[in-house]
Amino acid sequence: MEIEKGKTAKYLKEKRPVPKEVTEQLKSFTKTKKAILNALKEVHKTIPELAMELNMPKEDVVYQLMSLVKYGQVAPDDIDDMDEYFYYKIKSNGKN
Amino acid sequence: MIMEETKKKILEYDALVVGGGIAGGESALNLANLGYQVLLVEKDLTIGGKMIMLSKVFPTLDCAACITTPKVSEIARHKNITILTGAEVKKINKLGEHRFEVDVLQKPRYVHVADCTGCQLCEDVCPVSVSDQYQYGMVGRKAAYIPFSIASPRAAAIDIENCTLCGACERACPTKCIDFTQTEEEYLVKARSVVVATGFNLFDPLKIPRYGYGRFKNIITSMQMERQLAPTRPFNTILRPGDGKLPDNIAYVLCTGSRDKSVGNPICSQVCCMYSIKQAQLLMGALPMADITIYYLHIRAFGKGFNEFYAQAQDMGVEFIKGKVGKISEKENGNLILRYEDIEAGVVKEAEHDMVVLSVGILPNQGIADVFENEKLELDPFNFVQQSDMLASPAKTSIDGVFVAGTASGPMDIPDSILSGGAASAETTSYLRRGTL
Repeated sequence: MEIEKGKTAKYLKEKRPVPKEVTEQLKSFTKTKKAILNALKEVHKTIPELAMELNMPKEDVVYQLMSLVKYGQVAPDDIDDMDEYFYYKIKSNGKN
Repeated sequence: MIMEETKKKILEYDALVVGGGIAGGESALNLANLGYQVLLVEKDLTIGGKMIMLSKVFPTLDCAACITTPKVSEIARHKNITILTGAEVKKINKLGEHRFEVDVLQKPRYVHVADCTGCQLCEDVCPVSVSDQYQYGMVGRKAAYIPFSIASPRAAAIDIENCTLCGACERACPTKCIDFTQTEEEYLVKARSVVVATGFNLFDPLKIPRYGYGRFKNIITSMQMERQLAPTRPFNTILRPGDGKLPDNIAYVLCTGSRDKSVGNPICSQVCCMYSIKQAQLLMGALPMADITIYYLHIRAFGKGFNEFYAQAQDMGVEFIKGKVGKISEKENGNLILRYEDIEAGVVKEAEHDMVVLSVGILPNQGIADVFENEKLELDPFNFVQQSDMLASPAKTSIDGVFVAGTASGPMDIPDSILSGGAASAETTSYLRRGTL
């Protein structure tokens, strides 16, 4: 069977099905990402504010939010009045 | 230099260097500069070892990447060095003088490295996010990813265990270098000498449950702090992983997993005092208002310029407490209570900090001894590679023609690792020339 360059994922998918936990993990990340981006749509927020709004543990918000910063979708903004927590906002020219 | 194509590709080299960290790289480079053909086998996707991940080095506070990157680049471009990344040595047999046969297995990267431009378009479109091992789990990475910005080779790889095989990376790749048809490659390497430079492992603080690492999110390891201090840091600045707060009262717990018989590692790791002092100085620069306290048993500032570096930290305001931390507990606000024995006062005290760094020790990277089939690579009582003649010939091992470089032989700092790599290359040269002059 000749495999077309640039379309080899399909070939491996036929040989090696994707484990269920991998697709579940993707669904979970996509859901969290949407929730964080939605929460930041109108106004910038700190991590404790996001955690309260999304009802998520703060450490999970740190991990997911910082991943979105790394992926270029969220950017840090000013720090709060107590100099404790940064605000985060959707990156204006962010990639999706 | 592929001799024939069977199931196993047969390769011939003057020297096989196992491990592409700073010591293995130094050995490979020296041997290659003398005209020897060198095969460098690295199990990770990039060479540079742990040094390439560091922020700065002590006691000069030079940028670690600025030292490592040119060296790594020289190794990668050297005409006498062949590098196999993502590859592991499975078996070594000594057939005679200057005759080693080595089985090497290279895992598929699913990317043709030579064609990858490092544009990261595959990363941008990959929908998956999993824990980034190069940031020690503090942030995510994609399943199609470049390990880190100064990785060598700076080429993408596919994390096939976490890939959904959606094909987005292939469609985005301008050079069509992603190839899911790649499979494992087996090599039979005929080498005339071997250098073992397999480095070290860091102590896993989960083995000391009373310190609460893993349970209390504002306790991190010194390597995680190293990443937070590096230019390619996981966060926008130094933050508590538990809630994203800027810390202002940070404690270091020295000898975590070193000089501790209860965790099976009774020896000093040699670098923890100095890297903690270095990090404390860097933190005082990054967080000028922060208080830094170092809990220590003894400060071992034995190298050139080390004691002055220690005094400099004291002058900057780092607080040093001679104390053994017994237990760490967590308050509701994420702050941490350290219960410790104040050794000088002879009393048990408690102190509150908002972040704790465990200065983890160095452990042997075990396993290399098991790959030697017909000769025994002797280990020392602490499971590092035994130096059979430590004073006169420090790179010599129990097998003639097999030499050891860097922390594979025991804990040491970066300059000593480079010196050790140099010694290994000199002794390998001497061995290679034996009988030929």
